[in-house]
Amino acid sequence: MTTYLSGIGTVLALELRQRIRGVAWYVLLGVFVALVALITVLLWLSIGVSDGLGGFLFSGILFFVLLLGTLVAPALSGNAINGDRDAGTLATTQVTLLTTGQLVLGKFLAAWLTALAFLLVSLPFLLFAVVAGGVGPGTIAVSVLVLAVELGVIAAIGVGLSGILTRPLFSIVVTYLAVAALSIGTLIVFTLAGMATSSEARTTTFDVASVNEDVPLPEGVICSPPSVTTYTVPRFDYYWGVLAANPYVVLADSAAGQFDADDQPTDLFTATAVGVRQAQIAPDLDATFDYCTELREEGSAGGIDSGRFPSSREVFESTVPTWFVGLAIHVVLGAGALVWATARTRTPAARLPRGSRIA
Amino acid sequence: MGEGIEVVGVSRSFSAVQAVRSVTLTAEPGSITALIGPNGSGKTTLLLMLATLLRPDAGHIRVAGHDPVRQPDEVRARMGWMPDILGSWASLPVRATLEIAGRMYRLPKSAARRRAEELLELVGLTELAAQPTRVLSRGQKQRLSLARALVHDPSVLLLDEPASGLDPAARVDLRVLLQRLAEDGRTVLVSSHVLAELDEMATSAVYLDAGVSVSAERIAASRAGLRPWRVRSLGADPAAADGADSTALADALRAVGVPAERISADHLGLLVGVRDEGDAAALLAALVTRGVAVSSFAPAFGELEQTFLDLHRGNRS
Repeated sequence: MTTYLSGIGTVLALELRQRIRGVAWYVLLGVFVALVALITVLLWLSIGVSDGLGGFLFSGILFFVLLLGTLVAPALSGNAINGDRDAGTLATTQVTLLTTGQLVLGKFLAAWLTALAFLLVSLPFLLFAVVAGGVGPGTIAVSVLVLAVELGVIAAIGVGLSGILTRPLFSIVVTYLAVAALSIGTLIVFTLAGMATSSEARTTTFDVASVNEDVPLPEGVICSPPSVTTYTVPRFDYYWGVLAANPYVVLADSAAGQFDADDQPTDLFTATAVGVRQAQIAPDLDATFDYCTELREEGSAGGIDSGRFPSSREVFESTVPTWFVGLAIHVVLGAGALVWATARTRTPAARLPRGSRIA
Repeated sequence: MGEGIEVVGVSRSFSAVQAVRSVTLTAEPGSITALIGPNGSGKTTLLLMLATLLRPDAGHIRVAGHDPVRQPDEVRARMGWMPDILGSWASLPVRATLEIAGRMYRLPKSAARRRAEELLELVGLTELAAQPTRVLSRGQKQRLSLARALVHDPSVLLLDEPASGLDPAARVDLRVLLQRLAEDGRTVLVSSHVLAELDEMATSAVYLDAGVSVSAERIAASRAGLRPWRVRSLGADPAAADGADSTALADALRAVGVPAERISADHLGLLVGVRDEGDAAALLAALVTRGVAVSSFAPAFGELEQTFLDLHRGNRS
């Protein structure tokens, strides 16, 4: 076991040493810090100093780190194995006592740690957000952890594809496409599918025709005949599961909901989660608004009062969290890519990818 | 030290291309075996199979007493491979490259560091130890690659074109080093195009032709033909090969009984077709007896090169 781990450590050290020596790497980190700083300042200016500042800052920064992470991690991991084959260094490691599993895992850990460096350099900004207040300890721990796992998933997909596909450029592009499929593709599928399968909904309204003020309440109100309107509503409630696989949704949904006294979200995570979970609630296809009876019984026609629509907190609390399902899907995807890559890279090789040279 | 290499009836194809059809060879411990063949004859594919990287379609291989397919780790622990492609971790220093290679063979850290120093000394890269490998010249990369193949002190060495890119002095160093490694009892298998170089160090040779190892009989048959020997005499100016002096030597050759069709000329002098060494010795004696001032009398090509050319020619005709 220690031999196995020390082999992974050798690969990890080799990969990291090669990356750390590049100037490009530090430039990238510098640009990243500058961008996070810019985002922090912009968020601060747009929200203003209020109770919710910390929460919005914290979640905004983490969303941004996830965005940049998904943009950078594929490029850092997508040629880990086939790039080595192109450079002629893969075969020289394969004839050593390293196993293919150690090689692939070492490369994965290196890609992951590299991506985590971006999370690390954004820590000062996150700390600033926490100091500004309003961030729950649960949110801090869970969302940072989930973001770290998501970066690992992207690294795993990148390293995996680099072992499955022959050409480095191609595997990097496919890694980007895979990340885009999860981040944007799920959103597109959700939206389009929801619009395509719309239902007909009917609203029946009983209005007050006239009120005879001389007659006591129930009898004095004369109701008009019901008016019925029909319209189509998109059925997002059939497809909310698609969004569970979206990494931004996973990150947002994993945080404990934070609401203010008016039951409104106090961070972007909660706001996103409420928006997404709203889709779980099926639209009312046969709604009846009886303003007339209301007036008869209560003495006032409230019209559309706030009590009729659930608050953000009520939506959040009445629906099911999905983040662990999404996270599980991602982890399975990443692990599967690594296992497949290991099988494809194993030597002695029975079959070579078309046009590849083993050495 | 170890059990050498044994290959029987090995074949390997890549989709439509049959790279290795049927190779049978033996390389003994303590010897340097040359693997000779034209481009595309399957040398590199064969070495990849010996190096546990490629699975043969059929046949039987033993490297240091183990099967590369079923016991790759056993083979890897005893076998050093120097590929024909010079890949190196471009940004890593030379010393670190060797240390990490040692770690990959499960050497403890301190042992890997010691071994790296020894190898730097051995291949003459000590002065460049702190430089990143990307600044190395082709010949220096070649030496680094050899050092990496030796990092775990293997008993079997597989070297794919180790001499290409080396200057003459480095070639001599390589030859001396390989001879020393063989004297220790290691099995050394070298593929190369620089046949003159192999000629001086190889103790045995295996010829590959279109993926097939050439049988001993075919080699013997190819040796039965005429071999060109180069003859020069004093006063015969090679720049004037058609001139009077050269004609005088040709006349002398004809006079001692060499048929005219066996005599040809190139820019270095005359070439005479000779059957074997006894024939050559008799011819030299006859020329000297006739008073020809012979200044040079030697085979035009080395042994390996000649066999290579004969086999190649026989293949095409």
